[in-house]
Amino acid sequence: MTSILLPASHEFETQDIFVNMGPQHPSTHGVFRMVLEIDGEVVRDVLPYIGYLHRGAEKLCETMDYRQGIGFMDRTEYLAAFNAELSYVMAVEALAGIDVPERAQWIRMILCELNRLSSHFMFLGAFGVDVGVLGTSFTYAFRERENIFDLFEEICGDRMMYAYFRVGGLAWEVTDNFVTRVNQVLGMARQGIADLDGLLTQNEIFQARTRGIGHIPAADAIDWGMSGPSLRASGVALDVRRDEPYLFYPQVKFDVITGTNGDVYDRYLCRLREMHESIKIVEQCLQNLQPGPIVPERMSRLLRTPPGEVYIRTEAPRGEYGVYMVSNGGNRPWRCKVRSACLSNLQALRDMTVGHYVSDAVLILGSIDIVLSEVDR
Amino acid sequence: MTSEAGAPDLSSTIWPQVDRALSGISVEPEMGVLDLIVRIPKDEVVRGLRALKRAEDLNFDYLRCLTAIDWEDQGIDVVYHLYSTTKKHNLTVKTTLPNTDLTVDTATTVWRAANWLERETAEMFGVRFNGHPDPRTLLMPEDMDDTFPLRKDHPLQDIKLIQGEGIAFPEEQE
Repeated sequence: MTSILLPASHEFETQDIFVNMGPQHPSTHGVFRMVLEIDGEVVRDVLPYIGYLHRGAEKLCETMDYRQGIGFMDRTEYLAAFNAELSYVMAVEALAGIDVPERAQWIRMILCELNRLSSHFMFLGAFGVDVGVLGTSFTYAFRERENIFDLFEEICGDRMMYAYFRVGGLAWEVTDNFVTRVNQVLGMARQGIADLDGLLTQNEIFQARTRGIGHIPAADAIDWGMSGPSLRASGVALDVRRDEPYLFYPQVKFDVITGTNGDVYDRYLCRLREMHESIKIVEQCLQNLQPGPIVPERMSRLLRTPPGEVYIRTEAPRGEYGVYMVSNGGNRPWRCKVRSACLSNLQALRDMTVGHYVSDAVLILGSIDIVLSEVDR
Repeated sequence: MTSEAGAPDLSSTIWPQVDRALSGISVEPEMGVLDLIVRIPKDEVVRGLRALKRAEDLNFDYLRCLTAIDWEDQGIDVVYHLYSTTKKHNLTVKTTLPNTDLTVDTATTVWRAANWLERETAEMFGVRFNGHPDPRTLLMPEDMDDTFPLRKDHPLQDIKLIQGEGIAFPEEQE
């Protein structure tokens, strides 16, 4: 008979079981499903399933006028719709050779950076809930996000699906009190970031839960095609705004925030610090904002582009949002491919999760900050 | 869609380095709106991509995007958008697949990033990527076998009804 006392080296052997998470799981941030193969509490394999939110935005764009596609772009990336619109309208402008007036470009920059703020607030709030701060971080973050959305609503009449960027410029002029309102929102956002920073960053429990898990080395992150804060947390200073500037990014000063370890904590910290950079950018934009036209003087009603193709990439909150547009000379795109940052980031999920506990899998998924409508399109 | 090989403006681009890296492979260069585009025959495309990644002066270590374009009678183009995180330059690689043989070797052996992008391209266009490590559907249901939504012949039903030539403005209708 075997002894009741087991030798110290002995580990309990457990059978691997499969646990299904999602698609209706509150911590999967949307309709994302993953099947975890677990051995006790340790994840041995991850099998992600996506596509529950696929609406065929690319196909729909092919059937409609260039200007009608803007609305679909909003819905691919609903947490940072301005950034999504920007890639799309820039692609059409590049194909058609349209010059955008300076004022419109500055306003686009302001709105995109504010949208980055609102999106990162959403991340901070949701991530706090993932870690276990219950609702506190969420309500703090949503208070700030609402302030930004109020401003967006004043400008474009909608809180999420703006369709405010148009081919050539903007839909209409911003409100008269735009500059004061933006300054007001920035002040509140600065306070909001400080609040969340104080609530989470130095918190011992928060650090114990997030440090050292979900690590991904820089070389792997590049190989998987990751981008945005998730990549920069691994120490790769890759930012489309700096490396391949668009709009007036060369004229403003900002730092590209990078992490060192590439773990969950670094990905959180990268986003938090990036928010300060966004505020810096918006402040500089406001100084440069001059009165002027917001659409080119001569814009034909029938928008046709010469045959050609362009791949436009911009730095959205979650990474590189690219639009690859092919024209055959008609009034609608022949092919409009959306390069989703989250899709590429999500590919690395398995590498990050295997070997960690089930409860950490939720955090690791949260730290990539996915938005499923962008993954599925 | 192709321009004359060796057009004078290509000397200021990364074409000389690309040409050197792809020696032995028949390549057609073309200048796009932003990036240089090269066309590689489908049998040699993965060898070419690997050479582009390994070339020290190019170092295309990042696959931005992989997709396809349906040109109806002229086959399907598979498009790779490459980027170098160290040298910061871009390149678009294209290969044309004839409608009679929609297969190409997988690029997952070059970048792992190609994995899901190829799965998506496969289910949307019916392109087969030989040697893909995980050839399941990605966004589409698993039982969706012989219908490819992003092909031009895929039906759109009612959506066509609201389409005209551009947007009809009231004053132009009168």
